[in-house]
Amino acid sequence: MKAKLSILLLCFTLVSWSQQKKISGLVTSANDGMPLLGVSVIVDGTSRGTSTDLDGKYSITLQSGAQVSFSYLGYKSQTIKVIDQTIINIALEEDANSLEEVIVVGYGSQKKIDLTGAISTVKAEDIEKTPNSNIVQSLQGKVAGLQITSNGSPGAGPTVRIRGVNSFSAGGGPLYVVDGVFYDDIDFLDNSQIESISVLKDASSIAIFGQKGTNGVIVIETKGGKLNSKPTFTYSGYTGYQRAQNVVKMANAEQFVTMALESGSQADIEFVANAIQRYGRSRINPNLPNVNTDWYREILRVAPISSHSLGVTGGTESATYGVNASYFSQEGILDMENEYERFNVQSNIEVKLSERFRVGANALFSNSTRLNPENGAWFQAYFAVPILPVFDTQNENATPTAFSDATLLGYRGAQNPFPVMTFNNNRVKQRRVLTSAFIEYSLIPKKLKFKTFYSHDYNTTSERNVRLPYFISENSQRAVSSIRRAEFNSSNQYWDNILTYTDTFGDHNLTAIAGASYRDQQFETLQVTGDDITGIDLESSWFLDFADPGSFANQVIGNGDRLYSIAYLSRVEYNYKNKYLFNATYRYEGDGRFPKEIWLGTGSIGAGWVISEESFMQDNGVINFLKLRGSWGQLPNGALTGSAGTRTVSTLTTAINDLLTNGIISTNNFTDLEREILEETNVGISAKLFDNRLSLEVDYFTRDTKRLVIPVIQPIAGNTVLQNAGEMRNTGFEIAAGWSQRLNKDWSFSVNGNIGTLKNKMTKINNNLGYLDTGSAEFRQRSILGEPVEAFFGLEVEGVYQNDTQVANDPIAVDNNLEPGDFIYKDQNNDGIIDDQDRVVIGSYLPEFTYGGNLQVSYKNFDFSLAIAGQTGNEILNRKRGEVIFTNDTNIDADFATNRWHGEGTTNSYPSSAGRRKAWNQRLSTFFIEDGSFFRIQNVQLAYTIPLKKLGENMPEFKLTFTAERPLTIFKYNGFSPEVANGVDRQTYPIPAIYTFGVNIKL
Amino acid sequence: MKNLRQKLKSLPFMLMACIVLTSCNDLLEENDGQLATGDLDFTQTDDMILPLVGAYAVTYSRGWEDPLLVGVRGDDVNAGGLGDQPLFAETDLFNYDNGFWMFNQVWVNFYGDILDINNARETIEQYKEFATGDDVALGDQYIAETKVLSGFQHLQMSKLWGDIFIITSTNVEQELDNGVFTKEEVMLYISNLMDEAIPFLPDARPNERTDLAGGVTKYTALAIKAMANLELENYQLVADATGEIINSNKFMLYPDFYELFKKPGQLSNENLFELQFSDFNSDSGPVSNHLYAPFGPSSWDPLVETASGGWGFYEPSLKFIKFMIDRGEQTRLVTSVNFTPRGIEEIMEDPGYTTLPNYISNVTLDGDVFNNYPRAMFGSGKHYLPSNQLTTGRNDYGSGKNFIVIRYAEILLMYAEALTRGASGNGISADQAVNMVRSRVGMPSLSGVTAQDVMDEKYAELAMEWGIRYFDMIRLNEFSELSYEGRTFTEDDEFLPYPQEQLDLLPLE
Repeated sequence: MKAKLSILLLCFTLVSWSQQKKISGLVTSANDGMPLLGVSVIVDGTSRGTSTDLDGKYSITLQSGAQVSFSYLGYKSQTIKVIDQTIINIALEEDANSLEEVIVVGYGSQKKIDLTGAISTVKAEDIEKTPNSNIVQSLQGKVAGLQITSNGSPGAGPTVRIRGVNSFSAGGGPLYVVDGVFYDDIDFLDNSQIESISVLKDASSIAIFGQKGTNGVIVIETKGGKLNSKPTFTYSGYTGYQRAQNVVKMANAEQFVTMALESGSQADIEFVANAIQRYGRSRINPNLPNVNTDWYREILRVAPISSHSLGVTGGTESATYGVNASYFSQEGILDMENEYERFNVQSNIEVKLSERFRVGANALFSNSTRLNPENGAWFQAYFAVPILPVFDTQNENATPTAFSDATLLGYRGAQNPFPVMTFNNNRVKQRRVLTSAFIEYSLIPKKLKFKTFYSHDYNTTSERNVRLPYFISENSQRAVSSIRRAEFNSSNQYWDNILTYTDTFGDHNLTAIAGASYRDQQFETLQVTGDDITGIDLESSWFLDFADPGSFANQVIGNGDRLYSIAYLSRVEYNYKNKYLFNATYRYEGDGRFPKEIWLGTGSIGAGWVISEESFMQDNGVINFLKLRGSWGQLPNGALTGSAGTRTVSTLTTAINDLLTNGIISTNNFTDLEREILEETNVGISAKLFDNRLSLEVDYFTRDTKRLVIPVIQPIAGNTVLQNAGEMRNTGFEIAAGWSQRLNKDWSFSVNGNIGTLKNKMTKINNNLGYLDTGSAEFRQRSILGEPVEAFFGLEVEGVYQNDTQVANDPIAVDNNLEPGDFIYKDQNNDGIIDDQDRVVIGSYLPEFTYGGNLQVSYKNFDFSLAIAGQTGNEILNRKRGEVIFTNDTNIDADFATNRWHGEGTTNSYPSSAGRRKAWNQRLSTFFIEDGSFFRIQNVQLAYTIPLKKLGENMPEFKLTFTAERPLTIFKYNGFSPEVANGVDRQTYPIPAIYTFGVNIKL
Repeated sequence: MKNLRQKLKSLPFMLMACIVLTSCNDLLEENDGQLATGDLDFTQTDDMILPLVGAYAVTYSRGWEDPLLVGVRGDDVNAGGLGDQPLFAETDLFNYDNGFWMFNQVWVNFYGDILDINNARETIEQYKEFATGDDVALGDQYIAETKVLSGFQHLQMSKLWGDIFIITSTNVEQELDNGVFTKEEVMLYISNLMDEAIPFLPDARPNERTDLAGGVTKYTALAIKAMANLELENYQLVADATGEIINSNKFMLYPDFYELFKKPGQLSNENLFELQFSDFNSDSGPVSNHLYAPFGPSSWDPLVETASGGWGFYEPSLKFIKFMIDRGEQTRLVTSVNFTPRGIEEIMEDPGYTTLPNYISNVTLDGDVFNNYPRAMFGSGKHYLPSNQLTTGRNDYGSGKNFIVIRYAEILLMYAEALTRGASGNGISADQAVNMVRSRVGMPSLSGVTAQDVMDEKYAELAMEWGIRYFDMIRLNEFSELSYEGRTFTEDDEFLPYPQEQLDLLPLE
């Protein structure tokens, strides 16, 4: 059909001169009568064309006798000869197998029907609903097996895990492939630029991408014009505000003082007395100081967010173009200079020089400025005692601001978070240029083409950390100002040369690609700190030129690295009658960071059976499409720290006779790694039922990480060296189902849901211990064979000693001088002693279930959508509570203060205030491990399209939206948010709820 | 046919692409931003000192917990820091929890340094292979210096844990296979290691060295040899080694005991070994400091108002203070102890001390005022740097202050102890040695000093320094001295338990 069309397009001779006339009409779906938006309506043999509007309407001028064709993705195209009709209404039939729907895979594209791996797609509309700087955030809850952990800090991206944790090594995020270019992050992309997103989950889908794709691949296509379409101008924007939700309730002054008095610590009782002396007595309760500070309330604020983007796309008969500019700004909810601002300009053009020659170029400039928060403020606000005010006018020595200081009351730490929030300024400017260009030439028309594709991602990041001088107390001061300037620049280049061969022999369809990909990744940094800045009060002086030149010594870091890699790749896709599918991939990749094994080859195979194409399945009335698929593949993981392969030297300095003196130090602990290899088997079913209304995707996978790199502690000196000494397995089910239906002319709805399960376990640990410890000694995480990676490892609390008799009757309690209000631990090995040998796995930070769902209802010009997301089965280490092991003269959350043991029968799960301070109760135990499950209303949006088209055809489309992002989260955990990427909650930037009002205009 | 021709036309282009790609294969062998040990130019003999400086740098950069854990168990000092680090306070009470992070941290601090020093030695040996002329002897000297540094660290380790591993090279695995050595074997090893090093070391006071001022010399090695033999109760060798130091006539006591521990006493003629630190007398730029905050008061009114206090983690004991008052020790008491008003009241609670000498005050000799703070009653004076000695703009507690490790007074007293325990001296008498120490601080001369007199003198002179008191008491089995202020010390308490993390990793019992 397509081929026929394009031949027609070229046949200018077909155009006969006759009378100009105008036709209009409505294009609907034959299945449910729903109007179709964006159907291209093209006058055959000309460059004239248009597309249908939101109501499925179109109008076009043509010569009578011309043919006009209507085409839409996923539907069968129709061509109509215009003779004397003025209104042509068309009902397009859905293409049952969506044969035309194409998914971009590595170095090419594949018809969706031919896929044998696990790939999920997300529509652009769903992405635009999420007000966020980072596109990935909008995927939360939308893809089975994709876990997104949000980050509330402006401009900071979420943590993304596709099918769990498969490696210990850094760089656990997925690979982003934007219009064919590889990126480690997509901070530079604006939500409005996206055309489509595909999430590639299994090894066979990813194999062609090689070692960068181990943690999953997210393929993104940005908006571009279509051939033969008139310019379309689009504006979309929103503005709104963000508000912290689920703010942790801390003990107030009364609860805190009660805890202090009960603690039995004379020191803490004195601190309270000091506060009363300094700040006076409360008139309500004379035993309290006249201060009751809610620190979180003090440091939080309501913060604005807004976004604007303006773009135009279009195309002539031989060229397409797109230009887009967008601006995004977001302030942080931490009350300091904390914001993010980004301006992007993007353009792309693609030209068909001849039937054989195609060239294209894409350029994006992104300029962003981020003022980073002092995340320590969250930590300090948690611990700051409520009997300390923010300001203290009696603190006369303080300069420039009379902030209070807890050390003036006797506490160990200054506690007040405001000095760091006020006197620190952290700016990061990022400027990024991303360009790419390609030339494609058909060596054999329609069969063999060669494409050379070059891309360059040039990124400069300038950091400026300013430290202003201040004096609050002897223990909270900065005598000398300083500025740190850090310049990072990276240059990542790819050059791909790919041959693609496509052919059909009868019922046999074949596509084969072969090529080479060359990568050069350079990184350089220069970081300098200068002290004692002249004119520090003025931002115009925040340059190193104004620093004391003598202060630079030993405060300069300059380094860089360069990574080359070359890969040869190939893929074969074959199908017989679109019924039996087969594909195979092989990639041979060289990477200089692994001197032990520079070259590594990996591959994958996949097979599928489209049962619905079999004759016995035809016209069964229920199943429209059914495919069984299976795949196996290997992926090398190159996201590892490069190996040294040999002993290395570093420099250091020390004071010798008051002179800064240089020395060198060498290490005999060096890494010599091979790449990890992930092996995955995936089986699945894809189906469409009941007139394509129900769609279903089910997957089951097993993935093993072979040659897993683990930190092996070297004996004696405690340093660790990475070695290929482990194996890990992840298994899971993923189910995604959707139903969409048009009920009548006014009403339509769709429902989608997805569930992913995940089970992680260590299958091999080959070090001298047989297990692997991470975390710190106090907050141990241990990976044990058969247990999840980095499981929390500690004692199991069985209860709390309630009375003296109970203590006296328990030899363990007697041996350890315990009292009522102390924990009873389970003696796991029954040796009558509670010690480290009694520790067991007490939780995992990996969720067992992640789920999401989405309901969409349309009524006339109103569209309502509701998205949910959640997870269960993961635990969080409440490290804030655990911090008592280091400092206990601090505040505690209200939940603890309320539920503490304070007499027989008060609780069997919380220690007493005195007990909280005892080492016995501070050991990592189930008390500090909390349930991290949550359910969330992810997004609610109400949209109204103003029916301006009724006023005239040239009127724009005008849509208003009201969005609430994450308005409600339900969870039990005692913290701001149950979204803690690594499960250890020490200080987390709270995730705000966002409320926006938006406008979309299309002309 | 046409297709084929088209194909051939583009062949050169494709061939070019292939050639470019393959020529890049060489780049896979490069590693930017990394300097391999083997890539050092060992013919640059001038650079031979670099690894030696590295060895000093790691030795100097002690974790804050090292001196605390080494010293806290003596009857001269208590844990302080009440309400914080309870397991540190438990350690002071001889209740050891082998899961306590500090034990493991101190373990890895010392062993980490030992490995780094061994690495430095092996690098120096590689430079030495290319050295000619005088530089060969210089190489030998540097190698000997690394042995002294390693000996010092083994000494600290064995004092804390008793039986430990001896690590002499970078081939750790092999040495671990040897298992731990008994404390006696370790001390013997250290003593022999010093004998090995001595012939190659400078015959000078550390402050006389011009190549690396303050670095170790022959006399530092002799001192460490004496300390190892003191642990072995091999008093004759103690007397011989200390006697050799004394007879060199190179060392003398710094006249002002108080200032010895301040900036004026840095690199003085009394010091045989000190950890060097500096803020380079500049208010900005790099610093190379020890973290003295654990020793500092958590509330004070310093003369220089901006000076920071500390954490109150190291509190001289009432027992020590009363002992000093009883002896009428003014200089050494006010140098060793910073008093708070609460601490002074606490002394006076005792009916025997209702009136105190007027030199006991919460104002230091330099005018810094120590206030009450709940964490401790007293501060450690030898780790205190008066606020008026701070470099302007540097407010960290003790910024720029050196940390004395071995000083001549200890040598004199070790010598005296050895003699009173039956060793024969080859120079001055025990009385002379003790009286030199006493006369500096205005204490009257003694005659016919006994071993007990020397121990008392060591208590008064060396309190709060490197656990000298504690290790003396366990060497002499004077458990009753350590059973003070509510504590009970038994023989089982002498050594720390091996840290749990090391038990998990090493062939340890």
